[in-house]
Amino acid sequence: MDNWQRILQVARREHRIIRNRPLYFMGSVGVIVFCAIFFLTFLHGGLPHDIPIGLVDEDYSTTSRNFCQQLDATQLGEVIHYDSFAAAREDMISGKISAVCVIPEGMNEDIQAFRQPKITFYINGLYFVSGALAWKDLLTMVNLTNGAVQRQVFRAKGYNDDQIMGLIRPIDIDTHQIGNVTTNYNYYLTGILLPGILEMIVILVFIYSLGAELKFSTSRHLLETSGNSIVTALSGKLMVWTLIFSVIGFALIMLLYHWLHFPMKGIVFNMYIAMFLMILASEALAIFIIEMLPVPRLALSIGALYSVLGFSLSGFTLPIEAMPPYIQGLAAAFPLRHYYLFYVQEAIFGAGFAGWWKEVIWLLCFLFVPLLGLKRLKNAYIHQNFPKE
Amino acid sequence: MIMANKGYIKTWLSNWWDVFSHELKDIFSDGGVLLIFFVAGLAYPLLYNVVYLNGILSETPVAVVDEAACPDSRRFIREIDATREVEVAAKCINMAEAEKLMQERKVNGIVYFPKDFGEKLARNETAKLSLYADMSSFLYYKNAMIATNFVMLHEIGQIQMERYSLAGMTEQEASQVVKPLGYEDNNPYNRAFDYSFFLISAILMIIIQQTMFYGMSLLVGTRKERNRNFSSLPAHYGKYGIMRIVLGRGGAYWLLYLGIGMYIAYIVPAIFGLPQRGQFMDILALLLFYITDCVFFSMTWCTLITRRESVFLLFLAMSPICLFLTGCSWPTVAFPKFWKVFSYIFPSTFGVQGYMNLSTAGGDIAAAGFQMRTMVLQTIIYFLLACASINLENWVTRHIDTIRDKRDDLAQKVGIDRKEDARIIKGA
Repeated sequence: MDNWQRILQVARREHRIIRNRPLYFMGSVGVIVFCAIFFLTFLHGGLPHDIPIGLVDEDYSTTSRNFCQQLDATQLGEVIHYDSFAAAREDMISGKISAVCVIPEGMNEDIQAFRQPKITFYINGLYFVSGALAWKDLLTMVNLTNGAVQRQVFRAKGYNDDQIMGLIRPIDIDTHQIGNVTTNYNYYLTGILLPGILEMIVILVFIYSLGAELKFSTSRHLLETSGNSIVTALSGKLMVWTLIFSVIGFALIMLLYHWLHFPMKGIVFNMYIAMFLMILASEALAIFIIEMLPVPRLALSIGALYSVLGFSLSGFTLPIEAMPPYIQGLAAAFPLRHYYLFYVQEAIFGAGFAGWWKEVIWLLCFLFVPLLGLKRLKNAYIHQNFPKE
Repeated sequence: MIMANKGYIKTWLSNWWDVFSHELKDIFSDGGVLLIFFVAGLAYPLLYNVVYLNGILSETPVAVVDEAACPDSRRFIREIDATREVEVAAKCINMAEAEKLMQERKVNGIVYFPKDFGEKLARNETAKLSLYADMSSFLYYKNAMIATNFVMLHEIGQIQMERYSLAGMTEQEASQVVKPLGYEDNNPYNRAFDYSFFLISAILMIIIQQTMFYGMSLLVGTRKERNRNFSSLPAHYGKYGIMRIVLGRGGAYWLLYLGIGMYIAYIVPAIFGLPQRGQFMDILALLLFYITDCVFFSMTWCTLITRRESVFLLFLAMSPICLFLTGCSWPTVAFPKFWKVFSYIFPSTFGVQGYMNLSTAGGDIAAAGFQMRTMVLQTIIYFLLACASINLENWVTRHIDTIRDKRDDLAQKVGIDRKEDARIIKGA
């Protein structure tokens, strides 16, 4: 039997194992399907709207009522009225509303008389997105109110509307959001979270697949099938699993960029390359972890602790620059980090090969890591001298 | 009754003690469980704190393309550079150069002043400048937005003063018209929108729930493997009532997590200087409710685990999902209906909210009233479910042979030959 036939034999054996244990199917396809449904429907709105903002109106004037109505009419905010600041504060601290806005007594009169009254806001910044959005909404409303008052003054002085615009709005900013025009959280988060979940699945399932040989004492038979070569054995297993993971990964890319039209400045085809390389790198890491710790339960626990960290250290929410320097270096050890940087170059800037070739090299470097411990794994497979559980 | 002479209560207590101490012994003799409880439970909170230590992104580099080259644009640039949020890292000749810097990620934003910027200001028209923000992380965008907008508002005030004076107002009149309505903004719980304050508070509570669930599932999975059946009850538990088993086993985890939970809720935030504004006793009350809830939650769901390692493969991905379901980032009001109901399954949804309101925001116990009431309800439901699930496991244990036959039948129908498969997998 030549080597190719042996690899096929191992692959055939792996196929039987997968068929016999529903856990493999549930842990790979089941988990990713659930997560894809979750994130895509959960963040479907793209940007939250109707954030509850508490309003304490101590003025009861036309101006204050007008302010409330306009604030309520914005897409971002929804006004909830309170009689006292104490009641509003209690609801803010318990997270029911994201901000409290207090309109002082006599605001209308003070504005008319140019005594410059002050509106006070309190924002609950612990509920991050809603707090920030409520803040933005309130600031916009105050600036608009100021503009309205100024316009009245200048109209009374006989200026026409064009002149007034120049007077009250001397500078304007035209904001362009590169790569995500509508500030859509679904595009922003799901585009990285789902590949991150896949990275987690690859690491865990592949560690389990290799560890199960030890756990069920079938490793010697695996080596028998592969002609006593650990490389052949791993190649056979990799063949099956790379196929399965790639199908899942490609389905994800297809779902996100073809079907749901997530923003893509470059070419979708290149994302398949990124996904494939990330899968290979994650498999390499899985092999490395089980080589170093040929005890299935420990290897899985380490794999779990490692892959959960990948989300934070990919730097797509809090950028890496904001983390301590010794953590920044660590980020390079996560395939998801390189996938993210690849994605930024391809999807946001459309830079192509010139932009992402470094990430490709990084991901390829992961492939050499398992070579360090092949011998150790083979010995463990032969002697089965580690605790089995 | 075997021990009728001792009386019901005494028997109950001695049985409870048996179960309780047996469970503790099992926990401490299992390396994997200890790894999850103590290494993950104690070290993970520290690790996450280190990662999010600074929590604030400052001095986001931006490039400036100043085609106007007038005093106004130069002042604007200096003022942007002076903000905490943004740093002017490069002054570029044209957009192409700035775009290249952004693509190379040397800058995360571009501020562009068109040629007519100064002229328009001189002609009393609206001068436009453009901001291009890199959306690869929303924090870049947020920084660039905040910095340019605040500088713009400040500049507008200055320019308005000049123009209103030209329009014939006295200085006092002008300053009154520039800002007829002022504002004062307070962000009392998270002044600078620090990332670590909200995320760490949530992660800490989630670690309690998840490590307890993973650890307990590991132990249950091991027992099921060792006993070669699906029961999580060691043989000698058989004679006890279900209440004793649930409360005895639960008590062991409850006791352990009282320690781990107090470490996570009080000590970790103190080490890293996170806000601890709550009353000690209020937080303790919340913690007791939360841990009790988590114990019965874990006991119910670990029924699904039949093998030692399978919990990670099946449920690790629930950790990030739980984080989203707490509403600390994506607001609860924006949840789709279904997922809102789904979030009621997890104790963490309420534990995190309660902890944030009490400890990080510093509310009194009423601020977590809703969360605590819901956790009590959850605890009752999960307690009943935990009892039911042990009943179910017992039933499965008694009917294990029938179930195996059914499974083999099913396999045959789908066309899987289990014997042949076993030969290929394990050898003769």
